[in-house]
Amino acid sequence: MPRLARSQWYDLTRDMNWDFSYVTEEEVFPELLSNGFGVPSHDWWTWDEPYKITYAEYVHNQAGKDAGLFSVNNVVGRSKIFENLDPGWLAAVTAHYGAIAVAEYQAGIGEARMARFGRAAAWRNMATYGALDETRHGQLQTYFPYQALSKEPRLDWAHKAYHTNEWGIIASRHLFDDMFTANDAVSMAIQLTFTFETGFTNLQFLGMAADAMKIGDIDFGSLISSIQTDEARHAQQGEPTLKILVAAGHKDIAQSLFDKMFWRAWKIFALLTGLSMDYYTPLEHRTHSFKEFMDEFINTQFIDQFRDFGLEPPWYWDKLNNEMNWVHHAYHLGVYFWRPTVWWNPVAGVGPEERVWLEEKYPGWNGSFGKYWDEMGKNVREGRVELTLPETFPVVCNSCQLPVCTPAGYAAGYLESPLPLQLTIDGRIYTFCSEPCQWVFEQTPEQFAGHTSIIDRLLGGVIQPPTIPGALAYMGLSPEECGQDGTDYDWAHATAPVTAGPAASGAA
Amino acid sequence: MAMFPVQGIVEGDFVVVLVTPDDQDPMTAVAQAIAHHGIGTRVAAQDRPLKVRYKGTMLDDTATIAGTGCAPMDVLEVVYG
Repeated sequence: MPRLARSQWYDLTRDMNWDFSYVTEEEVFPELLSNGFGVPSHDWWTWDEPYKITYAEYVHNQAGKDAGLFSVNNVVGRSKIFENLDPGWLAAVTAHYGAIAVAEYQAGIGEARMARFGRAAAWRNMATYGALDETRHGQLQTYFPYQALSKEPRLDWAHKAYHTNEWGIIASRHLFDDMFTANDAVSMAIQLTFTFETGFTNLQFLGMAADAMKIGDIDFGSLISSIQTDEARHAQQGEPTLKILVAAGHKDIAQSLFDKMFWRAWKIFALLTGLSMDYYTPLEHRTHSFKEFMDEFINTQFIDQFRDFGLEPPWYWDKLNNEMNWVHHAYHLGVYFWRPTVWWNPVAGVGPEERVWLEEKYPGWNGSFGKYWDEMGKNVREGRVELTLPETFPVVCNSCQLPVCTPAGYAAGYLESPLPLQLTIDGRIYTFCSEPCQWVFEQTPEQFAGHTSIIDRLLGGVIQPPTIPGALAYMGLSPEECGQDGTDYDWAHATAPVTAGPAASGAA
Repeated sequence: MAMFPVQGIVEGDFVVVLVTPDDQDPMTAVAQAIAHHGIGTRVAAQDRPLKVRYKGTMLDDTATIAGTGCAPMDVLEVVYG
């Protein structure tokens, strides 16, 4: 029998929707797992993905990608490329693997939920490929670092991290459980595939891929470029879902889902990508600052994209643009000062030439953030390194789980007060780093109120003893795993005292 | 006499820190307890007395946490007088 051309059978096999006769719509799609927002089933059946693929094509393409990628990996594994990586770049890569690898696997759980509970067959089809993609990403981003364990044992955190209570991982799990592991399929299509994957992951994956290639880390660069090609395909689940919600008169629901997750994603990206771009990437290989990258990819390209779908910039857009000037500088300072609490060796990234770059990209940096590094550098030079290490804990936000750095924003002239926001619910005080973080919490307090931050656990007696060593052990960090200065403090000895200029005058 | 958790902000510092002074300590000691985590580590020391500000009000040097009605995890700012 002659084979049919792809165009003759594809739509039939991809789009097998039917009206249920033995069970109800609600039994097949419980709201908890697939919130249809009241959109009729036949409207969901109009779901149409821009980029279509058959399973045979998928297998062929993915096999080709893996063959190419593993070829690079095999060759690089026999070279000295890894051993000669810049310490800052090594920090960025080690942080990336720990923060991302097992989260990819969890995203596979999310895609699998859409593969079953997506409201249209075409969507379930795409999500099946998405589940395979994310499984691939989890496998790749554990296998690649696994091979370098003999050179950097803490790459073990590519697998270990998500099984610990390290503070950054608590923040990541809090975000990703909300976004996909514990989210319904429809909300997930908006919040994971549209908001996060289309908006933000390009920042981390394409931006870092470009930097990796410049630096000579072709292993990592090839890896995350390959990963992002899959992302571009399964991220397309967001657009048709969004269109159906908007057509059904639910633009407000789509907007609300978007607004909540966009802010949450911003916080984690400020931590992970902000540090990598502005401090860890070697100066000679930086093509842009984190703020410039955000301006291009978020303020320009992504805004255009979501406006095309009828969405508007979230209510907190001015606050986001405000934080882009200072919050990741504060997070970097915090990660460095509390470096024993991370699984990589943070580099300070504040040598004389780097500070010139920082001042150029963030006018006023030396007068605001530079002065903290001045004090720490002085302590290093005068033989008091112990004063650059913590004796207590930062308070963390009960929403994003990150250190509350409102004092930094205030000191740099971007906030009107250094004070955090607080809320009391049923006698318990919740602390927030920003108005949008508090807003996220208040949208569904029943979802978040029972969670304990790492500080709540310390105060509640969960962390024993309630000391720095006790907390490090609780976070799964042995003394050998705790982060140390990645360049043995050469930044402090290279620095001539910088005359502090006036603080930036960028009040909110 | 009990350890009392507060959120401390040292004037000029970048982050809110967890500090657990004794609830019977005078504010001079509370100020030192909070300042220890910022002054001389990230913020240059000044030769001026330190004061504690709570909800916008400067507290008397002899006041205690127990006496101010401060609740656990309230925010205390340490500023130069």
